[in-house]
Amino acid sequence: MSAQAINSDLRRKKPFRFQSDWGWAYLLIAPTIIGLIILNLYPFVETIILSTQKSQGLGAAKFVGLQNYEKLFADKQIWQSTWNTLYYMILTVPVGVFLALVLAVLLNSKIRGRDVYRGIYFMPMVVAPAAVAMVWKWIFNAEVGILNQFLGLFGVATINWLSDPNTAIISCAMIGIWSAVGYDLVLILAGLQSISTSYYEASEIDGASAVQRFFHITVPLISPTLFFVVIMRVMTSIKQFDTVYLLIKSTNPAYKKTITLMVMFYREAFEKFNKGYASAIVMWSFVIIMVITAIQFWSEKKLVHYE
Amino acid sequence: MKKTLAMLVTLCLLLSLFAPVALAEGDVTITFAFWDTNQEPGMKAIAEAYMAKNPNVKVETQVTPWNEYWTKLEAAAQGGALPDVFWMHSNQFYKYVTAGMLLDLTDLNLDYSPYPAGITALYNYEGSQWAVPKDYDTIALAYNKELFDKAGIAYPDDTWTWDTLRETAKKLNDVENGVYGFAAPNDTQSGYYNFVYQNGGKIFENGESGFNLPETQEAIKTWMNFMLEDGISPSLESFTDMSQDDQFQAGKVAMEFIGSWMMSAFTSNEFIKDKFDLCVLPQGKTRASIYNGLGYAGAYNTANPDVVKDFIAFCGSEEANILQAQNKAAIPAYKGTEHYFTDLFTNINIACYTEMIEYGVQFPFSPNKSLWEGTETELMTSAYTGELTVEEACNQLHEAIMEIEAE
Repeated sequence: MSAQAINSDLRRKKPFRFQSDWGWAYLLIAPTIIGLIILNLYPFVETIILSTQKSQGLGAAKFVGLQNYEKLFADKQIWQSTWNTLYYMILTVPVGVFLALVLAVLLNSKIRGRDVYRGIYFMPMVVAPAAVAMVWKWIFNAEVGILNQFLGLFGVATINWLSDPNTAIISCAMIGIWSAVGYDLVLILAGLQSISTSYYEASEIDGASAVQRFFHITVPLISPTLFFVVIMRVMTSIKQFDTVYLLIKSTNPAYKKTITLMVMFYREAFEKFNKGYASAIVMWSFVIIMVITAIQFWSEKKLVHYE
Repeated sequence: MKKTLAMLVTLCLLLSLFAPVALAEGDVTITFAFWDTNQEPGMKAIAEAYMAKNPNVKVETQVTPWNEYWTKLEAAAQGGALPDVFWMHSNQFYKYVTAGMLLDLTDLNLDYSPYPAGITALYNYEGSQWAVPKDYDTIALAYNKELFDKAGIAYPDDTWTWDTLRETAKKLNDVENGVYGFAAPNDTQSGYYNFVYQNGGKIFENGESGFNLPETQEAIKTWMNFMLEDGISPSLESFTDMSQDDQFQAGKVAMEFIGSWMMSAFTSNEFIKDKFDLCVLPQGKTRASIYNGLGYAGAYNTANPDVVKDFIAFCGSEEANILQAQNKAAIPAYKGTEHYFTDLFTNINIACYTEMIEYGVQFPFSPNKSLWEGTETELMTSAYTGELTVEEACNQLHEAIMEIEAE
């Protein structure tokens, strides 16, 4: 092949050229991309930088290397808060998703007033979290709260729902489950309704019982939805902030055994004005979320059945 | 046709962007931020009086609750978007003044003689004045007359000591009916700080934390033991469900320490307003009551420094002090106007608040107090729950403060 031939061969390949319709594509995705960069990517990088700095008050931050991380791993409270966060997740996710699944199956059958129930279960979702926390604060009040009054009828002794170190986080988890069940239920219900009735008819002819139908047809076919719901629930429970922040103040005896990583981060950053250390806390929770997400995606391959 | 319409809409939208600017021409709007809703009527009255005199100025008031106030103010300071005029507190003053966030008010040439000298000095830094005194507050002993009458016990008076307080509280204690003699919560200004100074202890002075002093630790221990040993105070659990002020107003505690800023709330509460009275604090080794004063400060980067200064000067004037007093906001800082406030409270011994200024102790502050306050609350909670002894908690706090202040 002569040099000329090679040249013409090269020339035949399309050189990179900006095509006129690409401009539209870039323009259309620009709002999302710019939003992501400004609101997510830039703060993420800034947080990493800040976590290596000492920034207190209004003065300029100064570089301190890994000092914040040294402090982090020596801080007893960080381990306690990490455990609190995981404990909150363990308390809310299985119970919450199970409840949502059971209720969704029930609401998928033909019962009277089905739409009313669906409305009622979804109601907590449309109420602002702060309002929810304030209402539950009174329900949980040890002396005048309706919960203790009710339990008192059965001779149950007064329970300090929000100030006993052993129960405070359970109380917060109860609120978390109550607020989320309706939303999960709607998602699962949608999944249930997309299952073709022909499977059930066929299995009925083959003589499968209701329980067998549930475990061999419903569960596998609903698993992609369940997986999605579980991921969402795990994420929100690790990021738990509002309920605990609004209900557990630093004068509360249950404070240390209840505050989640996000609450600890907020108090460090905006109440103790210690932004460098707070950023290190955020990086630590980032690591935890990454690990848990990796586990989830690994389990997706094993447990989730796609049609 | 469509195009013309689109052009017109765009034009309208663009014009609306400039509308507020166009309207503001010749007029000046300044923002005025503070944290106490109880004092909102007083502050609004001052703003309105000023606007009546200066028709071209509009003062916008913004109320934010205490905790969020400082979070918001710090973010605003870093973003260069401070409100034009705002309340300043001794806890936070150093942080803002050293960062250069405040407007120098020295050239106002105000006559500071009518204000309590301690409060003027509080907001003086490196020879310049950075805030004009607004008010002052002290702490008194509030007691529920009805509970005293029921137990047939004489009301507190100025002869009381810590022991009288403890013994009387024991007699008033009626746990079965949910009534406690005294409230000893995890609180500083209306709590153990008063005891610390009455015992010859210190919180922070001349660059040194006083939490390692035996006098300080002894006072805090006595305070906490009202709850932990004597059982004459509701528990920490109980205070998380209902604050000490709410418990007192509900008749669940017979006595508590209470700041003068709570008086407008107490006297408008139907349940408690005729049942309580005030007395000077009981004494320890000496007499002491924590006093503090707020100030009006301006933003260093305000667009209208002259208007801001003029408004702050007005806030500090006798007229504005009378206005805030008449609206039950707080004890005004301007000498001779206190009675406008105290006259509003006819059936309680409100005068004890102004009496105690004589032996009052300035609410302790340090250059970096806002950085260690949160740690203080957490460590004291640990001492209450028994996780740490009082000595351990105080010593740890001492170390933490000295470390933060050293930088």
